[in-house]
Amino acid sequence: MSDRTLASVDGVTRAYGGVPVLAGVTLSVETGVTAVVGPNGSGKSTLLGVLAGAVEPTDGTVSYHDGGPRDGAAKRVGYLPQRVPFRDGFTARETLGFYAALAGGDPDAALADVGLADAADKRVADLSGGMRRLLGIAQATLGDPDVVVLDEPTSGLDPEMRERAFRAAARAGDGAAVVVSSHDLDLVDAYADAVVVLRRGRVAAAGPRERLLDEYGVDDVDGLYRAVAGGSGDRPTVDDGGDADGEPSEESVHVTGVSDR
Amino acid sequence: MNSTFGGVWVVFRRELATVRRTPGYAVLAVGLLVVLGGLVAVGGGGATGFVPAVVDLLLPTEVLVPLLAVVLGYRALFADAASGELGVIRTYPVSAAGYVVGVLLARTAALVVLVGGPFALVGAYVWLTAAPDTGIFATHSGVDSPVLFLRFLALVVPFGAAYLSLSAAVSTIATTRRSAFALGLLALLAGVLGGDLAVLRSLSAGASPSGIAGSLALSPNGAFRGLVFEHVIGVSFAPEGGFVDTGRAVASLVGWTVVGGVAAVAAIALGPRVDVAVEHLRARLDR
Repeated sequence: MSDRTLASVDGVTRAYGGVPVLAGVTLSVETGVTAVVGPNGSGKSTLLGVLAGAVEPTDGTVSYHDGGPRDGAAKRVGYLPQRVPFRDGFTARETLGFYAALAGGDPDAALADVGLADAADKRVADLSGGMRRLLGIAQATLGDPDVVVLDEPTSGLDPEMRERAFRAAARAGDGAAVVVSSHDLDLVDAYADAVVVLRRGRVAAAGPRERLLDEYGVDDVDGLYRAVAGGSGDRPTVDDGGDADGEPSEESVHVTGVSDR
Repeated sequence: MNSTFGGVWVVFRRELATVRRTPGYAVLAVGLLVVLGGLVAVGGGGATGFVPAVVDLLLPTEVLVPLLAVVLGYRALFADAASGELGVIRTYPVSAAGYVVGVLLARTAALVVLVGGPFALVGAYVWLTAAPDTGIFATHSGVDSPVLFLRFLALVVPFGAAYLSLSAAVSTIATTRRSAFALGLLALLAGVLGGDLAVLRSLSAGASPSGIAGSLALSPNGAFRGLVFEHVIGVSFAPEGGFVDTGRAVASLVGWTVVGGVAAVAAIALGPRVDVAVEHLRARLDR
């Protein structure tokens, strides 16, 4: 993993219905795999949506080293939402063919990269949940974007599929910043170069995985998670949102970012 | 593919493929053909000539074409937004305008086939069955002609396109499939009934009847009906016309289509920012 920062999130807050889901999040992501972990409702999907440009922050900014999702004529950011959204009536090849026509890339090669070459002519409706997620990863990495955002790519998959999903993400991380949210802490341990722990919409810990393990005196990411996010509630309350306009509250754990900038 | 046109073309092909793979649309077209065929057969217009057939079809067309256009349009932009695929498409180099134009052009092409096809078949049926003579390619007063039916057909398509565009636009603010359908239905009722009711109200409020030709053209239905009277039915018996201001009626149909498209682009492009603005407002009010 190099130390090249490809995207930066600066003081990002996002509220829904007046309830802050993210509050003053600041971090940077670099080439390699960055895993975002945290309890349900801690703001992982919202943070990834903000990074992908799919969610507009209420406050704060996101900047990209080589341009954002809507800058220029190239695809800069790849995104797989938590719910894989492709049209059921199209085959896997047709689905990727549509995106490849917009961003460039070879649909068949992308399918082969995630192990779906044999399922190219299957309709999306006929793909298993795991195959859909692999198709989503292939779509997100199509066109070689600088930043790839994968929201829970292993959710609901069997162990073999989970491994394949993380392997595909790690391959993409060779030349890009891959940001993955996951509850599979063993796979995060095996593949992540950096870890961001979210708790109640705030960054509770962030940095290179090895450094964080040393800092918290734990053996693995599971231990880190328990040490940092263990026992936290799921959803930020309105009381937590006293900083909805971007002002960090006193008890917030404010970590500058993965790259320690 | 980098150009704006390229993005429109890619979205267009995908949308057209989606319509082609939705058998329900073909069933609707067959239903439309059955209804139109039945109307000209039972109404007697089919056996008499093109203009009588248009007279038989005019009122049902004012309801059926908008209905089919709304069915084609109400999910056109809503589907990707509801599934979350719009969030993925936003990461690709295609603008909101390119995306909306691609979708609407494909749906309009489908409208041409699904609505234009049944009307063309009914025209062919009239040609085969009408008596005494419908083979005169002229538009002289008192003379029936296939050209007049072609004019009717040429007016049906932009009439439907206006409703398609408007229903797609209103669907961008829907949150569920049911609400998208309800909003489409609302647009249908407002268009079919709203314009005429507004004209009646203005007359009862003392507006001059001489202004009807102008005000009628403002709604899609009034513009379509006026143009059909002016350039199809009226040609046979009232060469001086005066049913509607043609320029204003054409501008109205084109204008409603453009308004729908622009509103849809604005909703797709600015929707997330509006959402954020609402959150800011809510935060300010809560203080």
